[in-house]
Amino acid sequence: MDSLKQKALDYTLGVLPKEESLLFEAMLEDSDDAMHSLTEAQEDCARIALSAQPKTLGNEVKQRILENCQPNLNFDPFLAAKPIQNLRNTFTRTTDRYNGGGGSVTLRNINDARLQDEINCLYDDLITLTPLVAGDSDAAAGDMTSLHSVLKGMSSFSQSIDSLLANPISKDKEGNGAQSVYRSLLSSMPSLSFFSDRLNGKSFSMGDVRRLFYLCRDQLKIMRASFDDIDPNRLLEDEKLRLHSAGLLQTKWWGAEHAYFSAQGKVRCGHFFDGPVTERCVEFAEYDANMYCLANLLSPRSSNGEFHMELIKDAVPNCILAIARAETTKDQHDELDQIANGIRSHTTGLQNDYILWELIEESMLRAHQHTTLSELKDASLFGCHRLENSSYLWFAWPAIENNQGGAVA
Amino acid sequence: MLKIENNIWEKIRDGDSLAFEQLYDGFAGAMFSLSLEILGDRWEAEEVIQDIFAVLWRKPDAYSPKKGKFSSWLLVLTRNRSIDRYRSRKRRLDRGESDEILQSRPDQANKDGAEKATASDEKEHLNRAFSNLPPEQRKIIELSYFKGMNQQEIAEKLDLSLGTVKSRTRLGIEKLRNSLSTLRL
Repeated sequence: MDSLKQKALDYTLGVLPKEESLLFEAMLEDSDDAMHSLTEAQEDCARIALSAQPKTLGNEVKQRILENCQPNLNFDPFLAAKPIQNLRNTFTRTTDRYNGGGGSVTLRNINDARLQDEINCLYDDLITLTPLVAGDSDAAAGDMTSLHSVLKGMSSFSQSIDSLLANPISKDKEGNGAQSVYRSLLSSMPSLSFFSDRLNGKSFSMGDVRRLFYLCRDQLKIMRASFDDIDPNRLLEDEKLRLHSAGLLQTKWWGAEHAYFSAQGKVRCGHFFDGPVTERCVEFAEYDANMYCLANLLSPRSSNGEFHMELIKDAVPNCILAIARAETTKDQHDELDQIANGIRSHTTGLQNDYILWELIEESMLRAHQHTTLSELKDASLFGCHRLENSSYLWFAWPAIENNQGGAVA
Repeated sequence: MLKIENNIWEKIRDGDSLAFEQLYDGFAGAMFSLSLEILGDRWEAEEVIQDIFAVLWRKPDAYSPKKGKFSSWLLVLTRNRSIDRYRSRKRRLDRGESDEILQSRPDQANKDGAEKATASDEKEHLNRAFSNLPPEQRKIIELSYFKGMNQQEIAEKLDLSLGTVKSRTRLGIEKLRNSLSTLRL
């Protein structure tokens, strides 16, 4: 094979050194021989590709992909709204970036021994479950035997959550531990329990297996970021410098079905920037937990069963905005507004929603290194706003200043 | 096997969602099969396909007819993106970073493409396509195509001279071109 054909093949396979690649691309501009060699190499490689064992994609993948064709929602009116203008005018990034894990407690210091045991069991069950729904599992290939067997042997996650939440976890008794327990039970866990219950039944799809995998992965990281002694070795890895891109969030939220206890909703995305959001897994876990809190607050109040999750950068300089938006009735919005402003009403059944908002508030205090909530609220670093017939919930996170050269997750 | 209209890219570039759907129906399966072959992970392979289709819709000019045949370009892009992910995963393991998923399947890190291909019945179709190749040529093409190794890396791994790797690649590619030429693109 002459040098040109070899170069074309290496270029096609992505193994030509960068400098030589640039030279080869320059040749393509005015050399028919180079172009012919490239076309031939591509066709050779494409033929090899077709020899791969044929596999079938599920219909839910097609639905997700075709969502690309739907027009993006226009967020300009929201970005021009008063709270975001205020945020734009007042936002300053802290000098020392928050690395995540600031809300962590030691599980063995939780006073309630039953809580300790339940949290440990939950973590162990999820460690067992995760590989059974991973992309190389039998379940991912359509054989549910092992997954069903394990799920039937485990206690139901839904029942565990209900049982643990039956009695309020006292802040006076548990201090920050209460927050860690609630973060572990109320952020990704309700959706996780919904999908594990569904997979334990008869009516499910391959998309449910995939969704459960992402939820298990997130839940494990959220629990490690909440309890520093639950899995110290993996936590050490989570704390290493490793950039986490917005694409990771987009992948799991795009076209997903979301559940918060009995409420279900369909997620739509559109505006996800291309770049890193957090520097470490442990920070990403906290970010993730906040995103789930937004979704859990909004999805049960959507008028049409849909809600948007979006990640917008540079609308506010040095800041990444996570925005959840859904069409809501005025009553539904008023309820959200009360929750966001901590106004306790006589409506029962909203205790967990107040806790979800408090989890975001506490995380904002840590991320922006403020000492009082009023400072955060004055700066509109998070909030609830109504425009036309939609409710918007958001939180701001400091953008990464410079790429510190860490590995990419 | 794979049928897409010659002008499908132009239609997608013009915002024709029906053409986008036709491309998916005609081609996503082949792209997914290739990605899954390389990555061995269904969810990761789905992500690769999802990303490529998103790019195609939002930035259709990522392709231009100057880059060769659209169908070939798509498969090469799928292969290269899958290889990038495979390398990224391998780097994490090489650094000794834990991963609850990868740790639960310890054979993942050490199996190379050839071992996996010969070990699994699922690779029957692939093996048949390569059956006419001498093993030494097949090994080199698999390492290059499905594992993204360059010729120097292959030479070091197999303890061969660079010249031998190059000549075996050339002979293997030429034989494959003949034996796989019936596959329509």
